[in-house]
Amino acid sequence: MLDPVMFTGGVYKHDLVTELIEDLGGYLLQKNVTQSEVILLMLVPHEDMPVLEALTKELKGKLERAPLAGTEIAVVTPTLAIHHLPHPACDVAEYLRRHGAKSNMIGMGRGVAREIAQIDEYETGLINEHDAVVFTFGNFADCILKKEHLYRTLTIPVIVTGGPEMKKEDLPYAFEYVANVGRIAHRSRKATEIGSLDNIVAAVGRALDSVRASISKDPLTTTPPRVMEAVREQVPDVSASLSPLPIALNLNGLRIKLPYQEYHEAVAGVTFDEGVTLGEIAKVMPSRMKSYILVRILPTSETGFVV
Amino acid sequence: MEMDPLEVFEVRMPGEDYGADKYRDIIMDILQDLGLIRSIGRLYVYVEIEIPYFAVFGMIRGKQPPLKVRDVGDLVPTEGGYQITVEDEEHMANLIRVLWGTYGREKVEQPDRNVLVVLSDESPEELMVADLETEFRRDLMDALVRIAPEGFRNRRNEMGKESFFFLAAEETITPELVADAKEKIRGMQNA
Repeated sequence: MLDPVMFTGGVYKHDLVTELIEDLGGYLLQKNVTQSEVILLMLVPHEDMPVLEALTKELKGKLERAPLAGTEIAVVTPTLAIHHLPHPACDVAEYLRRHGAKSNMIGMGRGVAREIAQIDEYETGLINEHDAVVFTFGNFADCILKKEHLYRTLTIPVIVTGGPEMKKEDLPYAFEYVANVGRIAHRSRKATEIGSLDNIVAAVGRALDSVRASISKDPLTTTPPRVMEAVREQVPDVSASLSPLPIALNLNGLRIKLPYQEYHEAVAGVTFDEGVTLGEIAKVMPSRMKSYILVRILPTSETGFVV
Repeated sequence: MEMDPLEVFEVRMPGEDYGADKYRDIIMDILQDLGLIRSIGRLYVYVEIEIPYFAVFGMIRGKQPPLKVRDVGDLVPTEGGYQITVEDEEHMANLIRVLWGTYGREKVEQPDRNVLVVLSDESPEELMVADLETEFRRDLMDALVRIAPEGFRNRRNEMGKESFFFLAAEETITPELVADAKEKIRGMQNA
């Protein structure tokens, strides 16, 4: 059992943390250096947490649980216009990020209005590549009800946010509805507004748990962090990717930020200690996001073994 | 007409009480951002979500006189011309543009960051630096477009001397719709 945690501390001696994680058999998901501070997002074996806690104390760093680490969440706004951005969509995205998730903001092409709102096949495909999605709607109850068709076809859990209180049974296609967000024209700073953001994080956590539960019924052939490690070792060019997070983890695979055309064969050829290649235990396909590579690990029922 | 800033501010949205409350905040935020609150005396907002449309009617507080050179800086006659010392740099760019246009570039000097010298016998005192009234109306239009929900793409705008009426709807705006919105706003005014 791996625990997702976030380490915040000074750059000085932070490599002791990364080395310890390696020795413990954990994974370093993301490393952000901001001047003299470093933020490490990691997966650590549950039973070894006291060791890491002791080292953190020694380095005078801070260790927090990051429940959303290793997941990618989409935050969808009806458009990219000033009406919907930057508040509150950026607040939601930033808040999810602070809890360890990789959040992507998606502005729909024609998501506005009550009667004319629509979602196209590309947008559906792009959103479905994430682990969960947060739709930010406005302050009119009537509009929130009528915009249901925007997310009806999505296969991932949908968290709908809006202003007014709504009944759960009125939104059958939403995983959960979080009220008191809606359209605002200032940054979230009041206690009630921050509380609503906490509610969104909690709802996303529950949505991810439901995905994890359904995956555990037919476990993946291997875990996404293990594939990440193997790709980092065997496709070294990934470290030259300019993305802040060259390999983004999903619950059922990963997104590798290298051009599909040039690298998909190298990625599919990544070999594990057991002798199988990634191409045999996962689907390597082009992502809808730029020209990236999307890897979807096959479940045990399809491959017949676990590595 | 003498009015206090936003002495009346009413938002009515039948069936959407939460929306009415929130839109009050949004309108306040946006008017504050664009510095328009002091220029608006009364504001009525009516939204009919069934049709749907978004109507705003407002009364403008007083007319703003055009901004002249003597309003933006201290004017002192000097040898061979006039010296203007500007304290608030907000209108500096406009001021230089106007002086260049009137006297030509070679006759305008800027010895210091906030000092301009005009080499001419004619006083620039009465030159117009900025038309605040036009700027205000442009900002007001911008604010209204920002306030109205984005899906309401069909807009109608009637800008008067003392008041303005703005209507945004999803479907084509018909004369009946305009009449209905005005009727509802009149109802709010008389209530």
